[in-house]
Amino acid sequence: MLRRIATPALLVVVLGLAVLVPWLGDYYVHVFALVFINVLLAASLRPSLTCGQLNIGHSAFMCVGAYASALLAKHFAVPFELSLLSGALLATVVGLAVGYPSLRLRGVYFAMVTVAFVEVVRLVAAIWVSLTRGNSGLSGIPKPNLLGMILTTKASQYYLIVFVTVVALVILWKLERSRLGLTWKSIGMADHLAQSLGVNIANYKLLAFMVGCFFAGVAGALYAHFIRFLFPPEFGFLVATNILVYNFVGGRDHFVGPIVGAVFLSLLSEPFRGSAYETIFFSIAMLLTILFLPGGLITLPGKLAGLRWGRAASAPTPSPTG
Amino acid sequence: MTAALLLQSTIIGVSIGSIYILMALGLTLMFGMMHIINFAHGAVYMLGAFVIYYVFFQWGAPYFVAFLLAMVLLGVFGFLVERTVYRPIKGGIEPTLVALLALTTFLQAAGYPVFGQLDKHVPPVFRGTRDILGVMISSERLMIIPVAGVLVVGLYLFINKTRLGAAMRAIEQDKEAAALQGVNVHVVNGLAFAIGFALAAAAGALMAPIFKLDPMMGEQPLLKAFIIIILGGLGSIPGAILGGLMLGLIDSIVATALGAEPAFLLSFVFIIVLLLFKPTGLFGHAP
Repeated sequence: MLRRIATPALLVVVLGLAVLVPWLGDYYVHVFALVFINVLLAASLRPSLTCGQLNIGHSAFMCVGAYASALLAKHFAVPFELSLLSGALLATVVGLAVGYPSLRLRGVYFAMVTVAFVEVVRLVAAIWVSLTRGNSGLSGIPKPNLLGMILTTKASQYYLIVFVTVVALVILWKLERSRLGLTWKSIGMADHLAQSLGVNIANYKLLAFMVGCFFAGVAGALYAHFIRFLFPPEFGFLVATNILVYNFVGGRDHFVGPIVGAVFLSLLSEPFRGSAYETIFFSIAMLLTILFLPGGLITLPGKLAGLRWGRAASAPTPSPTG
Repeated sequence: MTAALLLQSTIIGVSIGSIYILMALGLTLMFGMMHIINFAHGAVYMLGAFVIYYVFFQWGAPYFVAFLLAMVLLGVFGFLVERTVYRPIKGGIEPTLVALLALTTFLQAAGYPVFGQLDKHVPPVFRGTRDILGVMISSERLMIIPVAGVLVVGLYLFINKTRLGAAMRAIEQDKEAAALQGVNVHVVNGLAFAIGFALAAAAGALMAPIFKLDPMMGEQPLLKAFIIIILGGLGSIPGAILGGLMLGLIDSIVATALGAEPAFLLSFVFIIVLLLFKPTGLFGHAP
């Protein structure tokens, strides 16, 4: 009974706090806008992970979405709604092109190929100077507009990011709870069994991968029009690893896992953003979580409660439903 | 491209290929036994190069000593990683892979405050050039080929002719059966980690006088090694050797003709096409 009220109440509180952020000042607007983009990235990796595909190259699709949307808006004055959608669709198409051959691979083979995606996309962005301006970086990206109105203030752009992220999360959540989501889960748990029951695992894995690419493209477009400067090395291996780390540190057994992981790690590493210590912090958090809290942060309250009531800490904790 | 340039690119390609082979052999050995991919391999390569920088260049020890020290130190490190990271993690391969990924990013990022922000350079060890059939090749690059050859033959003999090597092959075939026959699986796995790390350190140590040193320098060789073991088939040692030579040649000849980035893109396209037709690589068994 308590749980039925607790989850929506928590959601309202979190969203309420998110709405209040602009009153804290522009610095916090910037920080929290990036937090929401990270949340979206982390959540967009989840469908693939649910199918048991370890994708270590997700930043590649963010990069595609970011450049596509930025270039369309800059050179052809395409409205933001359309450029965001085009960026996301292009990321999906690129995802289809590389995903189709590589998703025939399982486990570590797939993981290794995805590492190369990042490098390929980054290199293309770096070499194709006439289109992307290469490693000089792409500047002069227009501010986002909505129904023809340009969002000039950082606060309004922040609200746009929050809105798009929340809509995307709702879609991802509905997908996960649907029959499709259950099929993905069954593939992740036992792909041979799922196959024997008539599930076309290759197609479902590809679909999960493309859904992830679409939302990574959305995140990339949001990023491009918020930061308004794109630089190929920023979409390197580290960003891709971070997206994976959010999922593992937060916890992979529940939808809120990557969200908790992204918020927790982005905010905690904020003092070191951009320095080597950010990565050091991330990797230590990652190692400690895998070694000592294999279920991720979302299992922490259950474990603490278990300790308090004298139950064994390792007793299975009921996963929250809601 | 003239014949002389082609010959020169070929020899340099074999030399680059030798480095790739050293990287790929450890990866494929560890995969065969434990079904993991050691993402930290690139970081170990980088550490091997930095051992040369400090021991050979800064402290003035002979290159040979620094080279062996790099292999021994990182071999011990590999043994410890098996004990502290690989062994305690339960729950399948995925968490292990992510833990190794975290170890990689940790070693790379920690490299900046520890080694400094600026690129490092190691002075040449083998000076001058050699005349091979009328083309001049730098001795530094030429020396890589025999050194890597000795290490590869050594590994081959170790795996095929010694009791520990037999234990490794036994684990590769069937871990439980090997354990029942009295093979200490943990120790032998640790040995595979040690060998893999030592070979990666050797590769880094050989490249230290040729390229500039920075904490991210292992990234490219790691990606190349990934492509090689996918190409050759995971777990296959002949596949790793053949794949390494092929990629070294592609890198050298295509890079001479078109530039380094197209060479990388080409090897990637090659892999994608290969995977379409033969998802387990040239010599691979089912994953």
